[in-house]
Amino acid sequence: MNPLKVERVVKQYGDKTAVNGLSFEVSEGEIYGLLGANGAGKTTTMRMVLGLIFPDGGDIRYFGKPYSKEQLSMLGYLPEERGMYPKIKVSDQIVYLAQLRGMSRKDAEANLRKWLDKFQVPEYYDKKVEELSKGNQQKIQFIAAVIHNPRIVILDEAFSGLDPVNVELLKTTVKELRDNGTSIVFSTHRMEHVEELCRNITIMHKSNPVLQGPIREIKKKFPQERVILSADAPISGLETVPGVVSVVRHEHGYELKVREPETAQAVLRHALAQGPVRRFELMEPTLNEIFIKTVGENHE
Amino acid sequence: MNKLGTVIAFTMRNKMRSKAFLISTLVLILLVVIGGNVPYLINKFGGDKTRSVGYVEGQYPEIVQGLRTLYAKQEKPDVKLENGASDEKQLKAWVEDGTISGYLTFTDNPAIGFPSAIYHSKSALGSDTSQSLQIALQEIKNDFVLKDAKLSDEQKSRLNAPIAFQNEQVTDGSGKTAEEQGTAIGLTYVIVILLFMSVMISGQLIATEITAEKSSRVMEIIVTSVSPLAQMFGKVIGTFVVAILQIAGIVGALVINLNLPHNADALQGFGIRLDTVDPAMIVYTVVFFLTGFFLYAMMFAAVGSIVSRTEDLGQAVLPITMLTIVGFYVAMFGLTHPDSPLIVVCSFIPFFSPFLMVLRVGLAEPGWWEIALSIGILLVSILVLGWLSAKIYRTGVLMYGKRPSVKELVKAMKAYKV
Repeated sequence: MNPLKVERVVKQYGDKTAVNGLSFEVSEGEIYGLLGANGAGKTTTMRMVLGLIFPDGGDIRYFGKPYSKEQLSMLGYLPEERGMYPKIKVSDQIVYLAQLRGMSRKDAEANLRKWLDKFQVPEYYDKKVEELSKGNQQKIQFIAAVIHNPRIVILDEAFSGLDPVNVELLKTTVKELRDNGTSIVFSTHRMEHVEELCRNITIMHKSNPVLQGPIREIKKKFPQERVILSADAPISGLETVPGVVSVVRHEHGYELKVREPETAQAVLRHALAQGPVRRFELMEPTLNEIFIKTVGENHE
Repeated sequence: MNKLGTVIAFTMRNKMRSKAFLISTLVLILLVVIGGNVPYLINKFGGDKTRSVGYVEGQYPEIVQGLRTLYAKQEKPDVKLENGASDEKQLKAWVEDGTISGYLTFTDNPAIGFPSAIYHSKSALGSDTSQSLQIALQEIKNDFVLKDAKLSDEQKSRLNAPIAFQNEQVTDGSGKTAEEQGTAIGLTYVIVILLFMSVMISGQLIATEITAEKSSRVMEIIVTSVSPLAQMFGKVIGTFVVAILQIAGIVGALVINLNLPHNADALQGFGIRLDTVDPAMIVYTVVFFLTGFFLYAMMFAAVGSIVSRTEDLGQAVLPITMLTIVGFYVAMFGLTHPDSPLIVVCSFIPFFSPFLMVLRVGLAEPGWWEIALSIGILLVSILVLGWLSAKIYRTGVLMYGKRPSVKELVKAMKAYKV
């Protein structure tokens, strides 16, 4: 039984539809990507999963059970807009939040120390949040979302505003959570993170799910039309090969757009005729391209 | 219920630890200690001060002489007549440099055969000194008139003795004496002020805290961990307990100070006796304090929840602030007119009844059914407002951006299905 199953949920605000018939499932130890432009309905979806607002139609099941207050303690939430009590000590507020999620005071304190050690900032235990840098506040916020060992975690823009070192640190932590069997719903605008972390994704556009499924299969649906080519000597006349749409010369080679994958072979033959080729690759479309294609095309 | 306890404990702990709370409590206690000793201090320094008064006797040296003899007879005269001024100009100069408090001049007044006296001082309003002079002059005038009537000294003193006159309340039981009435007015005054202050201060605190939680976005995590109802009531109850502790400290300091021997005497001098306080009054005070506090606290919480930025809060709570201020001023008016129809009517209006029913219990004699009805209305409105506030709160905490209008709020309530 999957930890989280969302079935054809619909949410309307007045006469505006915020989410229109969205379904997805997250299995144990899986990071599920929820993508979409601003205002596509991601936050509303997450709020429905969190039980903050109730769907107008459809159903959300947690380990097969419908929503109830008991479900709250197994949910963890990292909101997009970050915030803690600025004037209260880290230990006080994290323990408070953990207690609200049904953890005992003692367990919460011990768990907080463990997490702070993990992030190599044990000295923050007695500090006020306002004394910490923005990046470190994010770490504390992340701890607040996972301190009570939730089975389902919702991360809204988990890595925004972090430096590359901290992004790496949190990414590793998220992967560890996944490997421990936590189900994670992950939303971001950074497609490279999605490609690295998520198995399945949904791309939402204007309240509707427009693209859904495993990343690998989604990519297969999109034609491979980018060729990377580099050789020792300059290659001339690439744009004359039939089927080539455009050629961009980079410092160490060429990037070509082709109409169909077969054209790539013609490009390779053309290059080999002029000399040895060091690199040739028919690139998969990146998620970024897919996203822009899906969302951008019907963007008004 | 467990989570409610967690919210209450967290709210209390943070309040009690904050420097602002500790300092303001200490300052208030200090003020109360000073204020509690004021009656004693007034008696000590204010009561027996002698003021110097100059005069231009003109054609009435016998009046000035009469004043002199009269004040000389008193044990502790509060007026001393200064002679030696050549003219009014010099007297004016003396008033300026503070040698004398003021001076007397006389003008003819043939109609009553006694001159009009004018007391010149820096203040145009009557003072203790001018009152003392007026009484003294009245006595001298009486003497002048009676000189020809050939009355015996005994008859004269009988004529001059003031008549006894006292107010007593009509009730079914034993009426309140003036002493009890004085105590009741004083006590009611203190209670109304305490209620007003604690409602305003705690209410504002609750609203500010909720808005701060919202604007710092910590609210997003809290609403996903605990039901908004538990959160709102936890905050209200936590703040209430802290406010009660604070008030207990202040009232405790006041009672201890007033019961110190030197202050108790001074208070008795003003006709206030703490042992005449009716126990029922204390019970009603507690009841109305509780209900009044919760009524307003919940409204403040609801308003706090719909505002996203602390800057907008002042404007949003204005209607509630106005309600408390109106209640307070009606109560101040009621101190002197506890039986006026306005007070009676307002003592059944839930927003004002905490102030006004306490006042009526203290100063008038409302029937038991009136008190019961007022409490009943209050309890029902607390339930209704509590339900409504919880609904607003549940919706408000999720709404960001500009302050929603009532229409938008209702629409959002429908959308969120609260």
